[in-house]
Amino acid sequence: MAQLEYADLAQAVIDGNAQEARRLARAWAESGRDPLQAVEHGFALGLRRVGELWEEGEYFLPELIQGAEAMKAALETLQPSLQATRGEQQKKGCVVIGTVQGDLHDMGKSLVATMLSAHGFEVHDLGSDVPIARFVEEARLHRADIIAASALLTTTMVAQRDLARAVRDAGLDGSPRVMIGGAPTTPEWAAEIGAQHAENALRAVAVAEALVS
Amino acid sequence: MSGFLERLHRGPCLLLDGGLGSELIARGLPLGTPPDRWTLERPEEVAAVHRAYVEAGSDAIHANTFGANAARLVRYGLSDRIVALNRTAARLAREAAAHFVIADIGPTGEHLPPVGRGDLEEWRRHFEEQGRILAAAEVGPQVVVAAQAAVCPQPAVDAFHVETMSDVREALVALEALREVAPTLPVLVSLTFERKKRGFFTIMGDPLGPSLIRLWEAGAAAVGANCSIVSRDMLDLAREALASTRAPIVLQPNAGSPERTPDGIRYAQDPEEFAEDLASLLTEPRIVALGGCCGTDPRFIAALRARVTARRDP
Repeated sequence: MAQLEYADLAQAVIDGNAQEARRLARAWAESGRDPLQAVEHGFALGLRRVGELWEEGEYFLPELIQGAEAMKAALETLQPSLQATRGEQQKKGCVVIGTVQGDLHDMGKSLVATMLSAHGFEVHDLGSDVPIARFVEEARLHRADIIAASALLTTTMVAQRDLARAVRDAGLDGSPRVMIGGAPTTPEWAAEIGAQHAENALRAVAVAEALVS
Repeated sequence: MSGFLERLHRGPCLLLDGGLGSELIARGLPLGTPPDRWTLERPEEVAAVHRAYVEAGSDAIHANTFGANAARLVRYGLSDRIVALNRTAARLAREAAAHFVIADIGPTGEHLPPVGRGDLEEWRRHFEEQGRILAAAEVGPQVVVAAQAAVCPQPAVDAFHVETMSDVREALVALEALREVAPTLPVLVSLTFERKKRGFFTIMGDPLGPSLIRLWEAGAAAVGANCSIVSRDMLDLAREALASTRAPIVLQPNAGSPERTPDGIRYAQDPEEFAEDLASLLTEPRIVALGGCCGTDPRFIAALRARVTARRDP
């Protein structure tokens, strides 16, 4: 019986049905059962399946976003009971994310922000055309574990190197790590500048989880 | 009437131009500056790129109007220059003396829900506005190079090309808007596809065949693909497109992917390899136009032109 219900939770996310995800989350919380189980064995499995379907070329951006939104709806609904059960510390980590200065592309970056949030990170999305100083300031303010910077143009990529350097020089508490992405970026580029590379939104989640573990 | 549509149908394959933005960057367009800005600030550079493509063998060139719609311009504080940006860009292209000038119509940069907060009807108004300005753009009779003595101003553009669209719904409203405001101007429509396991799709999930069919049935003069994929993959896309629809096809691949090197940015592909990949398409009657997108330059068009010439004069 419990297995079937976990499958329902997952399915709501796979279907991108935020309303249903909220309904199921509410019912679960009211039943008094462990909300963390609902997330880990239900909703999160659904989100993982959404990611697989995207990699298989079955799901595209709209389905990916919808799945992530359903996941976030479930998490928001479960937030009070998650807090009650486990106290303050349920966020996996804190991420400050943005597109670098001079670059207005934001879709990939917003997708990463959505997916990280759906996977339990506290995310501060600074938008696009973000100066390095602002990345550093916001990371300091929120005690970020990760600073994520996207660049979609070969001409704006250089800002990622400058950011990595600025973060090192700033000596922030907790020594946040820098994660980069965007079409022209490569693992070699990331290694060259002392950052982690994420090829797409799903990899960004995996990299982020590895960085905070 | 410029005879663009007639030339498209008559053949042989119309050679378009290659990348414009990347050429302007090579000439010093600064970081984060939209190419459209140089229409007004450095028109001589835009004109030079157009001339280089004409000399390389382009039959038709795209005017520097890709980003000149209200949705895009507002982000750069250029909204109040929308008329000048479009008109001047069209004139610069016409003055380069290609056979044909195509007004480039790029996307709004917004996305429909759930991906973004775009609105289709607002987009339609943006495309109508840009289309109206371009359709009304004229050049003086002294610019017309054809034999006929023109005594009145000539239209600056011969056709529109709705390009780099990643959502077929946006492409459709652009097509409809342009046909509404400029019914005598042919409209080419190209989507940007990615190769996935099941075939070619836009990032929004629009499949190749059905999307091209929808655009063709909505009145596009030719349909096809540009950007994101390289010549070898474009060859496969061409085959699928030809098998899916009877529409005339237009294709503009990228010249490989951009790589950072110690000396700067390099696109991976050699112009000869690009042209060799596309060579077989030059004699396919339903491939009505070929060109290049990001990373291509006049050398790529010259390589294609050489193959057209070789076929004609073996």
